[in-house]
Amino acid sequence: MMKPSLWGLKKSPWVYHVALSPCNNCDIEILDVLTPRFDVERFGVKLVGSPRHADALLVTGSINRHVLPRFVELYRQTAKPCVVFAVGSCALSSSMFRDSYNIVGPLDKVMKEIDPAAIVAYVPGCPPKPEAIIAGVVKALKAL
Amino acid sequence: MTSVLDDLRSELGTRLLQVVQKNPRRAYVKLSDADLPAAAKFLLGRGGRLATISGIDTRNGVELLYHFAFAPEHVMVTLKTLLPKPLPRTASLAGWLPAANWSEREIHDLLGVTFADHPDPRRLLLADSWPEGVHPLRRDFKGLPDENRGSAAGAVSPAP
Amino acid sequence: MVIGYFFISVAVVLILGMATSWVDRKVTALVQARVGPPWYQPVADVAKLLGKEMLVPETSRAMGFALAPVAGFAAACVAGAILLGMLITGREFAGDLIVLVYLLAVPSVSMIIGACASGNPVSVVGASREMKMLLAYELPMLIVLVTTVFRAGGDFRIARLVAHQQAEGWMLLSASGVIGFIVALVSIQAKLGLVPFDAPEAEQEIMGGVMAEYSGPALALFRLTKMMLLCMLPVLMGVLFLGGFRMRGWDILWSVLKYMAVVVPLVLIRNTNPRLRVDQITRFFWGPMTVLALAGLALAALKV
Repeated sequence: MMKPSLWGLKKSPWVYHVALSPCNNCDIEILDVLTPRFDVERFGVKLVGSPRHADALLVTGSINRHVLPRFVELYRQTAKPCVVFAVGSCALSSSMFRDSYNIVGPLDKVMKEIDPAAIVAYVPGCPPKPEAIIAGVVKALKAL
Repeated sequence: MTSVLDDLRSELGTRLLQVVQKNPRRAYVKLSDADLPAAAKFLLGRGGRLATISGIDTRNGVELLYHFAFAPEHVMVTLKTLLPKPLPRTASLAGWLPAANWSEREIHDLLGVTFADHPDPRRLLLADSWPEGVHPLRRDFKGLPDENRGSAAGAVSPAP
Repeated sequence: MVIGYFFISVAVVLILGMATSWVDRKVTALVQARVGPPWYQPVADVAKLLGKEMLVPETSRAMGFALAPVAGFAAACVAGAILLGMLITGREFAGDLIVLVYLLAVPSVSMIIGACASGNPVSVVGASREMKMLLAYELPMLIVLVTTVFRAGGDFRIARLVAHQQAEGWMLLSASGVIGFIVALVSIQAKLGLVPFDAPEAEQEIMGGVMAEYSGPALALFRLTKMMLLCMLPVLMGVLFLGGFRMRGWDILWSVLKYMAVVVPLVLIRNTNPRLRVDQITRFFWGPMTVLALAGLALAALKV
């Protein structure tokens, strides 16, 4: 028998969009996901305005030196348990910017340093289609 | 285009080292960096607008390009100078040309060109954790040593 | 015995509140041509929030921060007990309408206190907007309440209002009643923090406003309080204007229809309007709404 809070987490994932200086294509796709056409409220997904209310962080963009301390602060301010979704190639692997002077590294490498027990899920694509983002979120929640 | 170049030639004469007109709307004028402020002031008075300043690190030195746009004539005139390494210096235009302010700060951060008498020589682009004196767009930049690759352990929270 | 009735009333209000919140989201979804959440969604929201950690900011005043949601929830529980306990068991006391209105204002005040104790400038902006809205919508609401009491003979008891309406027809069927119903409906929209009056909690603008710093169980308490208000305010409207709720036989279906007749317009207004700025809200409530409410009061004095 599942714990009620775990059942609640699977059925009601509130989403906060974290854009770490992306090119904004992934952000546009995330915006599309939240429109009535794709109806993510069926899964209980709701966009919240504050990271403290969030259960899922949708992280886009590759992590660079400027944004790193701010992302660390934001992750600490998100109430655990939470799932961090790396949306798009830049968050997954820094894509073509991998060797740039300002890039720190892919999201999961940074997450391992901040919080080894973090749950990280990956949604590949450049940018991923809204259907892919929904599929990623649903699969990750099923696996919790 | 020809009217702009003619006016520039009549103003500066032999101080223009080379004038290349790539196509009817684009011209590149090479100068020495001592003459550049005078040429820039002239072009500004002639009706041009400083669009941006770009720079590139070449084998012979750091080349700076000042792009001036002329709206009524629909042309763009670029002033080029070559600054010798290892410590490229030139005069700053930002005191009397506010459009140059941020462009010069950016070029200082990324290419290491010192602009004398810049009114606000703070760091513009690079992160606070980036070491002083390392300029990433230089040809000889090969990356920072590994412990400085901005690991999360070294992350400094911004001041509240 | 009384404790038992208290817990039963609170449980009924909570369950009805969650059901109404689901109805709100489902009607919103249907208006937007989509499916919407399943019926257990509010339960899942609360269960999830209770399982998350509660983050208390360093710059906050911890006592006020932690106790504010508890105070709001407690006030909502007592108000629910008075309202539903009275409807279930028939126990009432002189002036219970006034106590009810007072208790229903406490959750807004507790949100203001909690937001001010949060130590976040964004929360303070939300708190100041909530304060302005509270001053704005309470005025016409109170005038309308006085109008209904006036018409029913001047006794501030809920049971007397219901009895008067049973005897002489619904409050809604008189001119002052219609005016009062419209003003009260709009005031309730503001009290519940529904668009177009949700400036204090504007997600896109101020990161959740009053509730920006809350997480976990404290946020769950705030949301439960909101759900309880979502149940109690339409019940109050039904009692004031639609003749009360009888729970016998076929009257149960009739009562449900009356309840929906108040809830569905709230949801439809919510879905078809943009958000108003807080100065527009205060001007709206102190201007046209107060004038309308006073007109209703004058008509009630003339026994129309």
